[in-house]
Parts: sequence; structure tokens; C-alpha cells
Amino acid sequence: MKQRKGLFITSFLVLPVALYAVMVISPFLQAFYYSMTNWTGTNPDYKFVGLDNFKRLFTNELYSVYLIPALKHNAFLLIAMPVIVIALALFFAFMLNVGGRSRGSRIRGVGGSKFYKIVFFFPQVLSVTVVGVLWGAIFRSDEYGFLNSVLAIVGIGTKPSGWLSDPDIVLLLVMLVMIWSSVGFYLVYFSAAMSSIPTEIYEASMLDGASRVQTFFKVTLPLLFESVQTAWIYLGIIALDAFALVFVMTPEQGGPNHSSEVLGGVMYHYFSSSKAAVACAVGVVLFFFTLTLVMVSLRATRRERVEY
Amino acid sequence: MASESTPVEGGDLTRRSVLKTSAALGLLAVPAIGLLSACASGGDDSGDDIETTGDAKNPFGVDPKKPLEVVIFPGGFGKDYAEKQKVVYNEGFPEAVVTINAIEDLRAELAPRFQGKTPPDILQNEGANKIPHGELVANNQYHDLQPLLDAPTLDDPNVKIKDVLYPGVVESGSFKTADGTSKFFVLKYTYSMWGLWYSQQLFDEKKWTVPTTWAELMTLCAQIKQDGVAPFTYTGVHTYYIRDMFITLACRHGGADVVKNIDNLEPDAWSHPSVLAAAEALYSLKKQGFILEGSEGLDHRQSQARWVKQDAAFIPVGGWLENEEKDILKKEFEMRLMAVPPLDGSVNPQAINAGAGEGYAVPADGKNPQGGLEWLRVMLSVKGREAFGADAGTPTVVKGAKEGLPLEEKPGLKSMVGLLESNGNFAFQAMIGDWYPQFGDGIWGPALGELMSNAKTAAEFVEACQKGADAIASDDSIEKQKR
Repeated sequence: MKQRKGLFITSFLVLPVALYAVMVISPFLQAFYYSMTNWTGTNPDYKFVGLDNFKRLFTNELYSVYLIPALKHNAFLLIAMPVIVIALALFFAFMLNVGGRSRGSRIRGVGGSKFYKIVFFFPQVLSVTVVGVLWGAIFRSDEYGFLNSVLAIVGIGTKPSGWLSDPDIVLLLVMLVMIWSSVGFYLVYFSAAMSSIPTEIYEASMLDGASRVQTFFKVTLPLLFESVQTAWIYLGIIALDAFALVFVMTPEQGGPNHSSEVLGGVMYHYFSSSKAAVACAVGVVLFFFTLTLVMVSLRATRRERVEY
Repeated sequence: MASESTPVEGGDLTRRSVLKTSAALGLLAVPAIGLLSACASGGDDSGDDIETTGDAKNPFGVDPKKPLEVVIFPGGFGKDYAEKQKVVYNEGFPEAVVTINAIEDLRAELAPRFQGKTPPDILQNEGANKIPHGELVANNQYHDLQPLLDAPTLDDPNVKIKDVLYPGVVESGSFKTADGTSKFFVLKYTYSMWGLWYSQQLFDEKKWTVPTTWAELMTLCAQIKQDGVAPFTYTGVHTYYIRDMFITLACRHGGADVVKNIDNLEPDAWSHPSVLAAAEALYSLKKQGFILEGSEGLDHRQSQARWVKQDAAFIPVGGWLENEEKDILKKEFEMRLMAVPPLDGSVNPQAINAGAGEGYAVPADGKNPQGGLEWLRVMLSVKGREAFGADAGTPTVVKGAKEGLPLEEKPGLKSMVGLLESNGNFAFQAMIGDWYPQFGDGIWGPALGELMSNAKTAAEFVEACQKGADAIASDDSIEKQKR
């Protein structure tokens, strides 16, 4: 009986697992293999070169000028972006579900929260390229840029070194766009999680005289912790990417003089210059970066599951 | 009595057991990976030499029945010219079926074909996603084009093709091979130049005079600024647009050897005083407020649109500008071309950054390389040039050829052809950006961008370029070219 059940389950699993193995696992393993060769991407003849690609990426100036800034920028995005998005999404979700003035014992969000929930989700509907082009036009550096025009009307005037062409702020602007496009999704995600918290708990805390701030930090946040953990992982993965936005929005596809370089962009650069093996090496670096992130964050946020 | 009910969580089939089984299966898959890696390797050698027959009608021994696959990059020159050239090819080989494929993302579609040794027969390898010629040459994936040079032209059997090409065309398409010899692999088809474009209509209206020296240009720019127009705009987002101004100033000031030494990665090539003078001249543009505000963040369509709107007087672009902006340009605009005016003390004041562009190649593993060579011969013939000139509005590399060029409808083209004729003997090109894209895109480009936006001073620019050039020179894994 058990054998039949096992066979039954396996027969359903075979196709998806095979697909996954061929489309995801196999390229990963191949990337590890190719990263130790000098494959150009267009020629079937290539040689094994060991860890040369990695050595060059970190020590040869021609290569490290791409990789080191990319590592720094992705690390920065990783540290800053998830925190800001989650904080904003939690705040909005709280305000739109629980934060309103409660009449009697009803828990509700602030006025107009239904409207806000829909509108905040809009950016999620746009494809990332459209978002990049849109914000590129907003940040356009001459007087035809939307932001510059608004500043001119207000009387402040245009920013002399442009927005996206200013190496000091271009990464911050990319991060701003990432935050803008992500908050809506996590707002809905946290809203759903919040609505599964039984209202009795909120009523109890209201009876005890808790303010909105106290309710949020002492009641809502601990109960939402698993959702926050998941959101953190997802946002961490997005932060390690950022390639599409950088490619569409920034000058030289990596910011003025590599000031908005990201690992995905570096990989694309090496694939396009017939250095596929080096691109695979960058991919391997990214793999270990991601692995470390996942291990650290799962360990650091391990908690007991609260049942209610 | 045996219990009838089995627990809902089927005993043996726990998560752990499934994982164990799959791990075992996974180990079996490892040798399979070895098989899969064979996907990228293997393949037999091919690419036989082409025997040139003595026949002027068919010097490459083309099989008249074999089909031909032509890949065109539909960029600034479009793709209609290829259809007209196909008619000419079919005049010589009426039974051959010629397929023309216009591919924008060459790398995405052709890299796997090169990998699998099934490339097209002739290929226009250009565009943002082209496959660098140097890589394909280094892996013997291009056919040697020497038979083309030795063959007679399509129109006159007494004239060899190598005699009708502009000087420098063969050199700019030649690459060093593994055995140390230099062979001709890429036929660059268009002959064009970079320079500063301006509107004669605007100049007439504001009563400005076209400058002949850099000092005059600076005085003119001050006047232009007073008249409410920005003297310069440029494409900040793609830094290779600045290369021409920089290298022409340096070449005009110090002579062609300055450029040659830079290309050859000579130590201290960038320390030449002409290089510093050119850098300082460019730095001074933003310093004196002569650049349209926001240019460093504009892409090419945006900066060119501002220039067509006459918000800026000069813009540094190549010869394709008139075609690229033809939807918004009016003939009354009267666009003209001038090379960047020489600095004081220039020893070579007539030099122009002119040369061949748009590389075509015959892949070594194509099914019909003879047909590929014949297609190139057709392109260089009178009718082929007519077809290209009429559509693309750019001269080809055949000396003095003007067939099909709509000189009266296109004032910019007329202006450029005039300059090519008058200064053709002083034409030069910098190869370092093409030979070493790691330098061109990774070091030189960003440095030029920072020079123009004044984020780097001229001395810092020179230092950064010298350091980058030295890094290339000392890296043994990069194949070096010499001129």
C-alpha cells in the first residue's frame, strides 16, 4: 500500500522536478563549471583555467573596476532597501487596517483606506522596464525632465549636475524607484496577514488602554513576524538584482563611472563582450553572496511559531 | 488483528525519505552533467580555403544552385538596400535563393549559431549587441577575405577590388592571427566621419561666423551664449560620442603619431602634451558654461532632438545623424559638418576622424562562404553602391564613389562628402577603443564622461587613461594588436 502511494506521488513529481532540474539546477552547475574555463560564449573550443577568472575579477584593475563597486552597491541595497520597504509597508498596512479611530469596538483603518489600498498597488502592475523609462523621464537631467520642471515652477531651479548623471545620488535614486515599486505589494501582503489576527486581541489591548504605537509594536509586529521574515527574503533577492532598473535608467548602464554598477549588470557586460566564462564567475560570486544572506537571515530571525 | 487504518502521514514517505531518494538520484545525475557540458564543446573543424577561379563572372567558384543566407543589422541604414542588392546578386546567379534576415539583437540570435557551427553565410556584425570581431577572429570563426581583395570588381574585370578601396580600409579590417600574421577578416563598408554638426540656417539667422580655430570657437561660443542659445550639447549617457572631439584635437595638435602611440599602448602615450591640451580644451567647455544644462544625463535621441530644436548650436556625432533624425529635420535647417577646429600650435590642422565603419564578415563555418564573398563583391559594385547610397545616404569605401547619394536632398551628406574629399588625405582613426573594449568601455568612456562633466580635471583624466592603458598592456591574456 505504501509503495503504491509512494509511486503515485512520485509519478506526479517526476515532470516538475525534471523541469526544475534541467532549467534551474543544471544551468547552475554548468555555470560553476564554465566559470573555471575561458569560454567566450561563441566558440565550442575552450580551455580549463582553474580559478583564474576569480583571481582577475578581484585583483586585476580592468575587472575589479566593475566587480568591486557592484559588490558594494548590492550590499548597500541589501542592507537599506528591505528595511525601508518593510517599514513603510507595515506602517501603511497598519494604518489602513487598524490605525483608524475606532467607533465603539470596531477596528478599522484610516479614512479612505479602500482607495489607498488600490492606488498603492498600481506600481506593481507596471513592468520593470516601463518603471525604468517612466522614472528616467521624471529624472531627466535637462529642463524637460519632469522633476526639473516642477522645481523650476516652484522656483528652486534645476539641479546642475542632473539627477541620474550625478554619481553621488544615482544609486539612491535607483533605490527610491525600487522602494516605490515594491511597497504596494508588501502592503497588500501584510494587510492579508494582519487581517488574520483575531480582533479579540486588538479589543483586549484597547481595553488595556494601549495607544496606536503600543498596539503596533507590542501586538501586531510580533504576530506578523513570519510574514516579515518572508518579505525580507524576497526583498533581499530583489536587492541583489536591480539590474533592469540600472540598465534602463542610468548613464553608461552602470552609472557615471561605475557608480551604480550591480552584479547582474556586470554579468550582462561580460556576456556581451564575449567573456561568458567571466560572467559565470560573477554568477558564482553572486551565488555565494545569496547563500550567505539566506543562511544569516534565517538564523538571525529564528523564532518560535505563535499559534492562534 | 491487523489494524486497517494507516496513518494519514504515510509512514515511510516522510520528507526525509523523499529527500534521501532524490539525493541518491542526484548523484546519478552528476555524470549526466558531464554529458551536458559536451553541449558547449565539440564540433569538427571546417572552413576550407576558397579557391579563386580565373573567371571574372564567378571568381570564388560559387555553386549557382546553393542558397545564400544574409544577416543584416537594421540600424541607422535600414535593411531595404539589401533587397536591392539581392536583385544584383540574382543577376549573376539566378537560381540561388537568397534569404535576408534582419536581426537586431545579434548576440542573442547568433551566439548559439556560432557555438553550434551553423552561422549565416554573410553577416553585418554591428549594433549594440554585436559580437566583437576580435573574439570571433581569435577563434577562427571568420573567413579570410583575401580572395575578395584579389578578385576583379563586378563592373570592370580589369580592376582588382583592392585597388578601388580607400586607404586604411583593409588595415582597419585586419586582425592578427594566432600564427602572428595579419589577415583581412572584416570588410567595413561605409566611409564616414565624425565632427561637429551645426545648422547653417541658425548661423545665418544669428549672424554667426563658422570658426576655423579653437580660439575663434571659444569667442563664438561666448557670443552664442549671449544670444540665448547653448553652444554645445552632447550625449552624456553614451560616452563614446566624446571620443571624436578628444582624439581629433589631440591628433591635429600633435600629429598622427600621437594616436598611433595610444593605439599601440606605448608607455607614456597619454603623457604627450597634445593629449593634455585636448583634455584641457574639453574640460573648459563646461567650465565656461558652454554646455546645454543637463547634457550629461541625456541619451542620443534626447540630445539630438534638443539640437534639432536649435536649443544648442553644435553637437558631436558621426555621419548617421541626418538619417537618424530625418523625421524631425527640415531641409531649411541646412545642417553642416565641420571637424573640431584645431588648437593653437597644431602641426596637423587638417586631420579628420574619418574611416570605414559597418563591418561585414563571412563566417568560416557557413554553408556557402563563396556566396558570401560574392555578396560582398556585389555590395562594392556600382549597382550595389547605388542601392546602399540611396537608402542609407552614406558613402561607401569605394574611392570617390558617389552613386546613388542624394546630395541635393541631404545638405548634411553633401557637407560631409565635401569634407571627405578635401581632407581625405589627412584621415585617421583611433583603434584603441575597438581593439580593447575593456579599455574603451571600462576606462576611457567613464573618464571622458567625467572630463566633460568636470568631475575629473584634465590631469586626472590623463592619469586615469594612462593607468588603464598600462593595465591592458601588462595583461597577457589580452591579444595585442599593433599598427
